[in-house]
Parts: sequence; C-alpha cells; structure tokens
Amino acid sequence: MTTLETSAGLLPARTAAKEPARRTFRLSHISFGLVLAWLILGTALLWAIAPGLFTIYNPIEGVPGGQLKPPSALHLLGTDSLGRDLFARIVHGAVHSLSGAVAAVTVGLVVGTGLGLFAGAIGGRIDAVIMRFVDVLLSVPTLLLSLSIIILLGFGTLNAAIAVGATAIAGFARLMRSEVVRVRRADYVEAAFGSGGTFWNVLRRHILPNSLTSVIAYTAVQFGWAILQLSTLGFLGYGAPPPTPEWGLLIAEGRNYLATAWWLTAAPGFVVVAVVLSANRISQSIGRGR
Amino acid sequence: MTLRKHLLAPVFALAAAVSLSAIAAAADTPVQGGTLVYLEQQAHTNLYPPAGGFYPNGGILNQITDKLTYQNPQTLEIEPWLAQSWEVNADATQYTFKLRPGVTFSDGSPLDAAAVAKNFDIFGLGDKTLKYPVSEVVNNYDRSEVIDPLTVKFYFKKPSPGFLQGTAVIGSGLVSLKTLALPFDQLGDATKIIGSGPFVVASETLGKELTLKARPDYNWGPAKFEHQGRAYLDGIKYIVTGEDSVRIGALLAGQADFIRQVQAYDEPQVEGQGFKIYAPSTRGVNNSIVFRPDNQLVADVRVRKALSLATNRKEIVSTLFSKNYPVATSVIASTAIGYKDHSADLGFDLDKARQLLDEAGYVAGPDGTRAKDGKKLVLTAYESLPQPQNRATLQLIAQQWAKVGVKLNVLAGDAGSRTVDDLDPQKTSVSPAMVGRADPDVIKSQFYPKNRDALRQKGGGSDKIQSFVDDKLNGILEEIASQPDKQKRLQAVADAQAYLLEQAYAIPIFEEPQAFAGAPYVKGIAFEAVGRPSFYNVWLAK
Amino acid sequence: MTRYILSRIGQALLVLWAAFTLSFLLLQAMPGDAVLIKFLNPDYGLSPEQIQAIREAYAVDGTLLTQYLKTLANFLKGDFGYSIQAGVPVSAQLAVNLPPTLMLAALGFAAAVGLAVLIAALSSLAPFAWLRNLVQSIPSLFVSVPVFWLGIMLIQIFSFRLKLVSVINPGPWESLVLPVATLSVPIAAPLAQILIRSIDEIRTRPFIAVAVAKGATQRRILWRHVAGNAILPALTIAGVLFGELIAGAVVTETVFGLNGIGVLTEKAVGNQDLSVLQAVVVISAAAFVTINLLVDLLYPILDPRLRTPSGATA
Repeated sequence: MTTLETSAGLLPARTAAKEPARRTFRLSHISFGLVLAWLILGTALLWAIAPGLFTIYNPIEGVPGGQLKPPSALHLLGTDSLGRDLFARIVHGAVHSLSGAVAAVTVGLVVGTGLGLFAGAIGGRIDAVIMRFVDVLLSVPTLLLSLSIIILLGFGTLNAAIAVGATAIAGFARLMRSEVVRVRRADYVEAAFGSGGTFWNVLRRHILPNSLTSVIAYTAVQFGWAILQLSTLGFLGYGAPPPTPEWGLLIAEGRNYLATAWWLTAAPGFVVVAVVLSANRISQSIGRGR
Repeated sequence: MTLRKHLLAPVFALAAAVSLSAIAAAADTPVQGGTLVYLEQQAHTNLYPPAGGFYPNGGILNQITDKLTYQNPQTLEIEPWLAQSWEVNADATQYTFKLRPGVTFSDGSPLDAAAVAKNFDIFGLGDKTLKYPVSEVVNNYDRSEVIDPLTVKFYFKKPSPGFLQGTAVIGSGLVSLKTLALPFDQLGDATKIIGSGPFVVASETLGKELTLKARPDYNWGPAKFEHQGRAYLDGIKYIVTGEDSVRIGALLAGQADFIRQVQAYDEPQVEGQGFKIYAPSTRGVNNSIVFRPDNQLVADVRVRKALSLATNRKEIVSTLFSKNYPVATSVIASTAIGYKDHSADLGFDLDKARQLLDEAGYVAGPDGTRAKDGKKLVLTAYESLPQPQNRATLQLIAQQWAKVGVKLNVLAGDAGSRTVDDLDPQKTSVSPAMVGRADPDVIKSQFYPKNRDALRQKGGGSDKIQSFVDDKLNGILEEIASQPDKQKRLQAVADAQAYLLEQAYAIPIFEEPQAFAGAPYVKGIAFEAVGRPSFYNVWLAK
Repeated sequence: MTRYILSRIGQALLVLWAAFTLSFLLLQAMPGDAVLIKFLNPDYGLSPEQIQAIREAYAVDGTLLTQYLKTLANFLKGDFGYSIQAGVPVSAQLAVNLPPTLMLAALGFAAAVGLAVLIAALSSLAPFAWLRNLVQSIPSLFVSVPVFWLGIMLIQIFSFRLKLVSVINPGPWESLVLPVATLSVPIAAPLAQILIRSIDEIRTRPFIAVAVAKGATQRRILWRHVAGNAILPALTIAGVLFGELIAGAVVTETVFGLNGIGVLTEKAVGNQDLSVLQAVVVISAAAFVTINLLVDLLYPILDPRLRTPSGATA
C-alpha cells in the first residue's frame, strides 16, 4: 500500500509548469527501463497464457530421485525437494499469481472506486458516512484483516485474492473521492452543471474520464502490491494449497532449503521483484502521461 | 557475539589450532562450565508433566524434573532413579516404591512419599477444579497410600502392567506440591514449574526464550549413571526459532550449539562441515497415513488395501529422507517393544491395487479419477506441521495414488479449521499420524477411541461420527493396556499390528526419529527412550 | 476552529467505535474455537467432556448483543480479557509485547527517514545523469521486494555468510540491526519519492532562480525549502505509513523470531484467540485514529490554504 498515494493519487499538487515538459515526446525518456518493464510483464503474461511454450516439465509431478538438483542446462533453475523443475513451476505459477493479483485488484477497484465515486459525487452526509467507513477499514491492520477473511472464507487462491482485495478498497475509495472532488471543482464541470447537465450525465461525461488516469496508474501499482501481499500470505501459511505452484508459495516453501539450495527461494523471489517493479514502472509512466 | 569478537575470530581459531594437539589427550575428560544455546522449533505450550509428549514441552521437562525410574534407552530396561527399589504384585494392581532419601525440590521442599503420592493422584485421576487432565500413561489408577516417608504404594482398579514403564516417561516427571496447587492454565509459565531435576528455570520470556541454570546441590541422577553430582553445564538457553533456515544457518555459523528438527535435506550440509546429526528413534507408532472409515469412500477394506499397495515407501524415503528414517515394516517401529516384522504385508504393487479398486466398484472416469455411483474417489488430508516434511510427503503420496486413479487433496489450513475438520471424517478422510513412547501401550494410545482416536470411532473424541466402531480392535487394545502377563501382553501387541494391517486402517511409511544437530564441541548428549534430549551429561569441549 | 477540532475528535471516536464493532462481529464469525484448538492437542489427553468443561469455564454467557455490550464495557474500563492460548490476561501479554514492537517501529521509521533523505540527496546531487536516474528508481525497487524475503536474505548474507551480526543470542543493539534494516526498506520508499518530487518541484519555482541569481548556492536553497515542501505530502501518508509499519512488524518479527505485537497477532489469528485479536484491533485503530487526527489538526496550521476545511481527510 505504500507507493499508492505518492506515485499516483494524492499528489495532484504537482506544478502545472512541469506538465508540458513531460508531455513532449522524448525518446530518451521512453527509456530502456520502461521497455524492459513491458517486456518483463509481457513475458509473465505469456507464461500465464501458454506455459507449454516455455517449459516441457510438469510443474506438479516430480521425478523421485531427481530432487534438489542445482541449476544446470537440463534444469535452468534446478529442482525442488520432490524433483520438480523450479523453472517449470515458476512458469506455470504465473497464471495463479497473476490471476490472483488481478482478482484482488478487481475487488479493490470495483468496490473502492464505487464507494469513492458516490462519496465524492454526492457529498454531504453520505460522503461523511462512506469515508468514515473507509477510515474504519484503514484502521484495522491490513494483514489482520486479510488473515481473518481467509479463515472465514477458507483457503484457496481466490479467497486469498478476495482477502487482499478487501484491504485495497480503502485506498481506491480515497483516491477516487479526491479525484472526483478535484474534478468537480474544475471550472468546466461547474459550467456543465450550470448549462443544465444532469448529475449522472456530468458524472459520465466529465468526472469519470478525468479521474481515470490516476485510477489506472494506481491500479498498476496495486497490481504489484497485490502480488507481494499474496506472497506474504503464502509465507505466513495462508496462501494457496499445495501443490499449486503459486509464486508466493514457491518463495515461502523454498526458504526452508536456504542452507542447502538457496536458489529455490532466491529465483522466485527475483521473479516477483522483477514483475512488481515492472508494474510500478509502468504505473509511473501512466501517471506522467496525464 | 559482538562485532569485535567476529573480527578476532580468525586469530582465536589459529591459536586454537595450535593448541589443539595439546588438548586432544584431555578431550574425553568432561569440563564444567559454559552455557548451551539450544534452538527449539516451537515454543512450549504447557509444562504440566503429562503434557510432556509434545516435544518442545518434553525437551524442557526432561531437564527440570526427575522420575521414579529410569528407562535405559539401549536395553529399554527399567532402572532405579528416585525410587531405589519397587515391588509389583502378580496381577499388576499394586505397586510399591522405596524412595531415595535426601531428595529435594528446588524450592527446598522434600521429595518424599507424600509428594510422590500427590503427583500420581493427579496424573492418574486428574483434578476437576484445577482442570488437570488424566495422564495418558497411567491406566486404571485407583489411589495411593503413604506407608512411611520413603515408601509409597499405588492401587489400581484393574491390572495396569504399563505403569512401571509409565513412571519412567517424560509425562511422569515429579513436581513440587506448590506447582500442583496451581490451576492447569498457569503451568504455561515455566518459572512456576518446580522440579527436582539437574536444572532449574532461571528466567523466561514467554514464547521466545527460556534460561535454565544448573542446580549446584543436585546429587540424585539415575543410579547406574557414571556421572553423579551436579550437571557439567552452568546453564542452558532455549531460544525459540521457528524458521528452519535460521536454525540450521545459526548452528553452522557458530551462533548456536544444538538445534532440534533438522530436515533430512540439510543433513549432508551439517555433516560435511564436521557437525553431528543425532537421530534417536521415537520407538512408537510409525509415521503413517491413517484412514477414517466412517467416511464411505474409505469404508471398504479393499480401497484401503489398494491405497496401501499404491504407496511406494522406498520412493518416499529415498526422495525426501535419509538413512535416519528407516522404511516402516509394521505399524510400530522396529525398535519398539512387541514389534513384529510385517514387511510382507506392506508391499508396493500397482497392478494389484488397481485390481482391488476395480473389485470395490471404483472405475476410472474421463479425468482419470475413479468413481463409484457418481462419487469420485477424492480424499482429503491436512498437513501435520510437527511431522518432518509432511507437506512434501503428502504431495508425493498424492502423486503415487494418482497413478491408480485416486486423488488426494493436501490442505494447509489454519489451526482452527484444521482442528474442527480433523474431527469430521467427511472433511478429512485420511490423516497423517505418529506418536512416540517406549511401551506397548503406545499402540493403544494411538488407536483407542478414548485416547488419540486416530481412526475416529463412534464414542471417541468426535461427535461427528455416524457409525464406525471396531469392537475387535478396541478389545485387543484394552488387552494391551490391562494384561498383566508379559507374554500375553506382547501377543496382544502382535495381534494389534496384524489386525491393523489386515484391515489396512493405517499405512505405515517410515520410522520417525527426532532429528537434532550439534556443534562438534558439544559432548555427552543423551536421549531418553523416545528421543528427548537430556543435557545432564553434556559438556562443552571448547 | 474549536468546533472543527471537536467535530474531528468526535469523528475519530466514532471510527474507533466502528472498528471495535466491526472486528467484534468479524471475530465472532470465526469457525474454530480457541479452547478446542488449544486443548484438543492429544498430548493433553483430555476427553471431550473435559474440554466441554473448560469451554464452559471460559464462556461468556448471553446473547450476541449482551456479549458485545459486556466486552465493550470491559474495554472502556481497560480490561481486555483473557488469552486462552497463553493462559494469561491480554493486558499482561500487551505489556510484554508492545514495547519491543514500538522500539522496532520507531527505529525502523527513523532509519527509513535517514535512508529516504540519503536517496533523495543522491538523486539530485550524484555526479552523472545515469547515476541520478538509477538512484531515482531505488524507491520503486524498495517497494517491489517482499519484506519477509528481504529479511531472510539479509540474515543469510550478513549473519550466516559474512558473520557480521548475530541473530541468535545477540546483544541488545545487535539484535535490532537487521530487523530495523528490513523494516525501513518499505517505509523509506514512499518517503524518498516524496522528497525527490519535492526537490523536482522546488527547482522549478521562480524564487530559486532569483536566489541563485543573487549568488546563493543552489544546494543550500534547495535543502532549506525541500523539507518544508515535503512535510505536507509526508503527513498525508502518515496513516498509511503506520499501517505499513504494523504489517512490516508482523513479518519482520516472524522472520527474526522477535517478540512483539506482530507475532502475537499472527499467533492469535492462528489460534483464534479472540480477546487478543480484539485488543490488537482496538489498539492499532486507536493509534491510527490518533495519527490521522493529529494530521488533520496540523494540516491547517502548516498549510494556510486549507484553513477552511473541505471535509476530506486525504
């Protein structure tokens, strides 16, 4: 939840003077970093869609006798304690981790922006009630909230995603509301109301599109954050059930082998860092494009 | 270990190497002093002695309490300790113990017949007001009688042949009357446990750290020990370190002296660096998969047999474990009392397994999973956290069973759901199980409905059972617990093993040791009969 | 102004009460029960009847509503109930566990501020453009690392391989080095981003050009204004940072085996020790509410433009 209000939403105070300079197209600034970020995310997506293209090994079924082999040409990242190819598990795990993160962000996005939109657009007492509710959500420690929800709903990839999504609601709601309030105050929106536009029309035509950029940027950040949260749940023992090759579970299970096979936790860890970093980088580029 | 010491470490190492040859001659003479840093995987829960079966509890109780008798871990013979001698009547309903004089608890109160009587009254009968449960190792207890200050007699309602060994186990550690006056709940606080052992609790940070210090006036170790008098160590520091990688890393980096729960995959690493692995057998019921036949899916003995035949023990042990984890050849370990070799009944035969499943009416569906009357043969098990690599073991078993068309789901639920679901055979049709104790009673402890109730029978610990009950099995188990004749008792143990395997109620996998690792300079480590460490004889050669 | 303050305090209390109520309902819905989880352990050898007796001894009688009112009244009196798992009053557990967590959080926060200033300074003062760009991307990297993974890696590298610090049986300060480093990373990132942005922004302001024209070194001017400019956005995310500190503490304490509220919470969730969880929620909600209240009250003082409150907390 960290980058949240900084990289995207809550700093609309950025000076207007700076904006035009950013908007001019400079090749050197669509930097190597951004291209790399898209490449990494693209690869992860391909892993999720067509894992068979990247590895021939079965991610669930191991080869007894071939366990805990160090990285080699045969097994790029070595094998785990059951003789399963780690690279295959990472590739096949992409679909679980990415879809889990998408589901989590969707929960936060839909519920959160919905709440924020109504609060900001309607204002008054309803605004106060909704935002106090959001405060309550924020005041309960996120991990405690996630863990409680998982215990209530049961274990599983989807339930973990819902649990993470629930903790993202507050951030989305606050961002959306502040965006709506900002846009509402703008002259052209006032003018639209003045020239007889109905509430819903103004909302649809002016408020929504204008608040969208920061929400999208924020969504990208949250996507990365959700991957991290899901892996933290895996670490605490509340993640997907085995033998799901979910990334968080890979890091969490691999850590027991640090003394003997450090790559089992290091490799999925680096994959998660790379994907989350890419999501953040892309979010920044969206935020700047505003 | 400060930063400075680390920088100087190479210098010391050099000096040590130079003088090493000089020390070598004296290396076998124990030296007094030093504190042992012991890393434990889990925090202790409750130090009421009968709760000592839980390894973190037992690892502490074994240092701070003494028992009436000592079971020699090599011969399994019962030897004198706080009791100098004893008499048992013919039908094992009366036991008389003569106590060693001059023994005191660490609060100064005498360990006399009255104290011993009170301890066993509570262990044998429990206490409703203080919420003390009955000890698992004391069967058919009736009452005690103090004959003179050093003689105590116990009466039993029915024969209780396991009682003599029961006085030697961790669960029969003797504590001061002050401790027993406290409610059960408060015994989670180690500082309140007052025993007569070679160490006493000095301080405790709940859930994190425990410091023991040697008792200088200790002079009542087991009679046959060469070492008498106070412990060599000045103290022991228990540090709860849940992360496997931190325990093993800290040991190898010289930050800890002794650790519990070393996984098999780390063994080569540990031994390769000159450290020592200790893997004492737990001599109990083997690490197994047990069925809950109240669930229709596993109610048919043919299905259970088939799954037993589909389980490749050798593959599990060679993939996940090491030579310290022998492949199971019966329900109980080969080092257990009353063991009978059943390796012929524990074969691996996929064809026969498939044939049995066909006979039972389960035929393969389009997705490869067998089904009967539309009910798929999908079983569910929760991983057991205390068992070594249980998650990996269950996954490998799932992989093996999949070859005969049976699906095994492995769950890793939270403690709450696991505890509730484990009582319900509809939710957990199979379960990992093991228990250690060096007495034939162990097999009864594991399967009898009023004890651990591994099979979940009606009338046992769960109210979710519809009908399953096996009176024949329970009859054999009762016989084990109350047959005073040694030969007949061992026969009952043999019968129980044969019957459990004939019914395929359990699939034994391997004989589970307790795996510890120690630094090369830690000498004199000993284990009681089921693998709990004793630090009385330990000294540090550094 | 007084009315504004009073209404803010009122709202804060309302949020606190709502957090209590919400968590009470959430916790009542938990499937297991703490007595069963603790006492079904076969090593205790308890019969179902005995477990039932224990449960009755702990049970709070009455309907959900009367239980709720009773718990609320007890909390208002400062009585947090009894931990079933540990067998001690919750307040005793808090007394043991709160100080180390506060210490860890405070040091972690201080280290994060230091780290953030360092990153921000390097990002504008480093000699080469590519180096500055690299430094600017450090905050992104920092928020992309799973905290538990970072902790485990730091232990492996600095304690076990390089043997620089002990994690087992360490000295009082030594024990904090790696946990504080671990915890400071996710906190430093947003702070560094705010500082970097603040520097960016100040640079474009006209008065800087004026000052520079007058002969002041740009560096000195920058630093004098950056701090003032960064403090508002930093305040805005104070509540969020606090949440991050709590979550970070749970994971850090677990990895390093430290005592504290984080580990206490994690264990209480697993054992469904409801009294402990209720107390943790109320304490953290109280802290959160207090922080936000202070921020709200400080905001108008620090930023004259906001003297007329808009009603938004964000």
